[in-house]
Amino acid sequence: MDDILEVRSLTKRFQGLLAIDHVSFALQRNEILGLIGPNGAGKTTMISLISGTLEPSEGEVIFEGVSIRRLPAYRRGRLGIARTFQVMRPFPDLTVLDNVAVGALFGATGHSQVLQDARERAQRWLEFVGLDRRAQQRAESLGGPDRKRLELAKALAMRPKVLLLDEVMAGLNHVEIEEVITVIKKVREQGISILVIEHVMKAIQSLSDRLLVLRNGEKIAEGRPQEVLSNEQVIAAYLGTKRHE
Amino acid sequence: MKFSTKLALAGVGIALLATVPWWGSAVLVQFGINALILATLAQSWNIIGGYTGYPSFGNSVFYGLGGYGVAIAMVQYGLPFPVGLAIGIGLAVGFAILLGLPVLRLRGHYFAIATLGLAEVMTAIVSNLEIAGRNVGLILPLVKGDVLFFELSLILLVVTTLAVMWISRSRFGFGLIAIRENEQAAAVMGVNTTLYKILAFALCSVFAAVAGGIHAYWITYLDPGSAFDVALNVKMIIMAVFGGPGTIFGPVLGAFVLSAISEILAAKVTSLASIFFGIVIVAAIVFMPRGFADLVRRFRHLGWRYFQENIRTYRV
Amino acid sequence: MQLLWQILVNGVLLGGLYALMALGLVLVWGVLNIVNLAHGALIMLGAYACYYLFTGLGWDPFAALPVAMVLLFCLGYVIQRYVLNLIIRAPMFNTLLITFGFEVVITYLAQIAFSADFRTINPSYAGANFSFLGATVPLVRLLAFAVALALTLGLWLFLEHTRIGRAIRATAQNLIAARLYGVNPRHLYALTFGIGAALAGAAGTLYGVVSQINPYIGSGLTAKSFAIAIIGGLDKSIYVLAGGLFLGIVEAVTALYIGPTYTDVVSFGILVLVLIVRPTGLLGRTA
Repeated sequence: MDDILEVRSLTKRFQGLLAIDHVSFALQRNEILGLIGPNGAGKTTMISLISGTLEPSEGEVIFEGVSIRRLPAYRRGRLGIARTFQVMRPFPDLTVLDNVAVGALFGATGHSQVLQDARERAQRWLEFVGLDRRAQQRAESLGGPDRKRLELAKALAMRPKVLLLDEVMAGLNHVEIEEVITVIKKVREQGISILVIEHVMKAIQSLSDRLLVLRNGEKIAEGRPQEVLSNEQVIAAYLGTKRHE
Repeated sequence: MKFSTKLALAGVGIALLATVPWWGSAVLVQFGINALILATLAQSWNIIGGYTGYPSFGNSVFYGLGGYGVAIAMVQYGLPFPVGLAIGIGLAVGFAILLGLPVLRLRGHYFAIATLGLAEVMTAIVSNLEIAGRNVGLILPLVKGDVLFFELSLILLVVTTLAVMWISRSRFGFGLIAIRENEQAAAVMGVNTTLYKILAFALCSVFAAVAGGIHAYWITYLDPGSAFDVALNVKMIIMAVFGGPGTIFGPVLGAFVLSAISEILAAKVTSLASIFFGIVIVAAIVFMPRGFADLVRRFRHLGWRYFQENIRTYRV
Repeated sequence: MQLLWQILVNGVLLGGLYALMALGLVLVWGVLNIVNLAHGALIMLGAYACYYLFTGLGWDPFAALPVAMVLLFCLGYVIQRYVLNLIIRAPMFNTLLITFGFEVVITYLAQIAFSADFRTINPSYAGANFSFLGATVPLVRLLAFAVALALTLGLWLFLEHTRIGRAIRATAQNLIAARLYGVNPRHLYALTFGIGAALAGAAGTLYGVVSQINPYIGSGLTAKSFAIAIIGGLDKSIYVLAGGLFLGIVEAVTALYIGPTYTDVVSFGILVLVLIVRPTGLLGRTA
């Protein structure tokens, strides 16, 4: 199987706190890999390390066979790695349309140089996520679920090859979750490989081809959902958090 | 108001302004030159402060470097004014790039203080330089005719505003705005934030330097205190903030209106000129902290309650 | 060697005064999140208050100091209570601009009231000095240093051990915690700013005794106070003290070995360097 993204022995220390402890895994081309684990396991940190928001203390990040460890965040964005933020980060004063247009302007190679062109492309992405009616609204006026859609549209407008989703379903109701699952599957159909962090167990089970479990910065399981979720260590991680080493 | 209408109005305004030296009094012309230069400074600050969201308190350095570039070139080397301007621009851009690199990594108010520190350092350094005439300063050759300086200042303001207009509709400008709104998000979306910030800083340094050069030549005298006048920083910021930061015409409006108010009040009670500037600032921040643009927009709905609302929003 | 020792002594004496100068700024900044660009102007007012008590009523400057502090406290209280409290929840930037407005107003009122001439406060013992391990220590500078230290210590004790002081510190964390102390927040804010102003007034008095004053020294002193505050670190009074002493010594050494006109270059140069390399200050916690 072709790995589009690989992480080797990735480690991150913050002032003595070991947030990520020599984790290795691979994201295969066109797969949906679910990243789960109890709170504080280091899931968002992992995404930040891959997207370039954080620098690793040790280890490698390899994209399409090439090491990107030294590349700053904006270069990784242009190469084709896009992410959403758990604490959503719209550009508040810009319209919803322009928020997405930034992705079209600066994203992966082949990005538009022309504002008008970028806006047209942005409009199409807004339709894809179902936000087109709010195109001219100021981004900060959006409610929770719409903000999540906006985060997704911004990332998609970059035409990424790899999409890193950080808890896009938090706080959504059943109907909205189903919609997001549908959209993510449509995204995969476009040929994009996806790494999804999620707490909503049912959703991530049905969505992911494989699961990766982190706990206290360490990888404790990796494989098909049924196997992983019946793994004793995984169960203990979620239930037995009172037991401390 | 549609953009094309605004543009037309601006065109008319420029044409009118250009004629002022021929019918205006000497005082009016002088006021005009000062206002035009301040407007240029406010507009240049707009680029780094308004669009990029980095509130620089160090643009006075570019202004001073422009002034000293002209002064040193003309006084010490006998070079013509345009060459002096070029030197001033070169110095300012060099400074913007060299010192922008470390300083633009700082966020928010730390960046502001760092640039303030730089302004103080430059003042102190220049007052020790022999070639700059040390603390005493330099006296430039005299050129008669405020007309020339008025028109030069007007042209400079127009060019600066055109640059801002270009920014507002270009990919570069979009990148700057993205940086302002959310730098981390901008970075992961592919904006080369370091490069863009430095470019913005360098761009604003150009206009500030030319303003400084023109001003120095006009008043024919330059010393470190007045060239690197730190208070100028706050003035240009206030004008930009009140006019509307991140807009094309806002800072120009802010500069003209605030200057005019100051002048008019000062004319009534002559010895208290600057006090009124201070009082206007205090009152404006309390009653209309979001600037003229916001005032115009919401006054229609709220009337006088607009001012009350602002206080209610921000008080203890 | 002898000369270096003298320089060190000079630097330390100056440093104590510097620390006091920055103290009020840091208090207001840390608790109220107000960056007070008028701080130097308040120092200037304190100096003039002392000057007029000295020349007008013949008071000894050190006796006039508490009066100057009280006067500045009242001014600060009023400014905070009736103006700054109105904008306190606005972006910090606004406080910067509004305090600049105050600086302009205060400076020009001072210019009109006091005229632009340089003045000094010269008590009869101004020329007295004595020897300390071989260095000449001017009496006034030593007294100024002692007062500065005393006030710094006093502020620390006040903040740590009195109910109001702890309420003020709680406010720095959040307003709700402060409310638990049962003090009206408007009053609490005004108190804090008043104390900051009083400290500035004290620093002004001492400054007037050791140096010349005129209405325009405000902005330079504000800038200097910023440098001291940032270099030392904003977290604790003791950091400010360290910052003041450090800068005092650095300036004294610079004045001797490079030249007195270079002290600002070095001070502000260090400020910029500290911001670039270690923004929390030489002593502050790394972010």
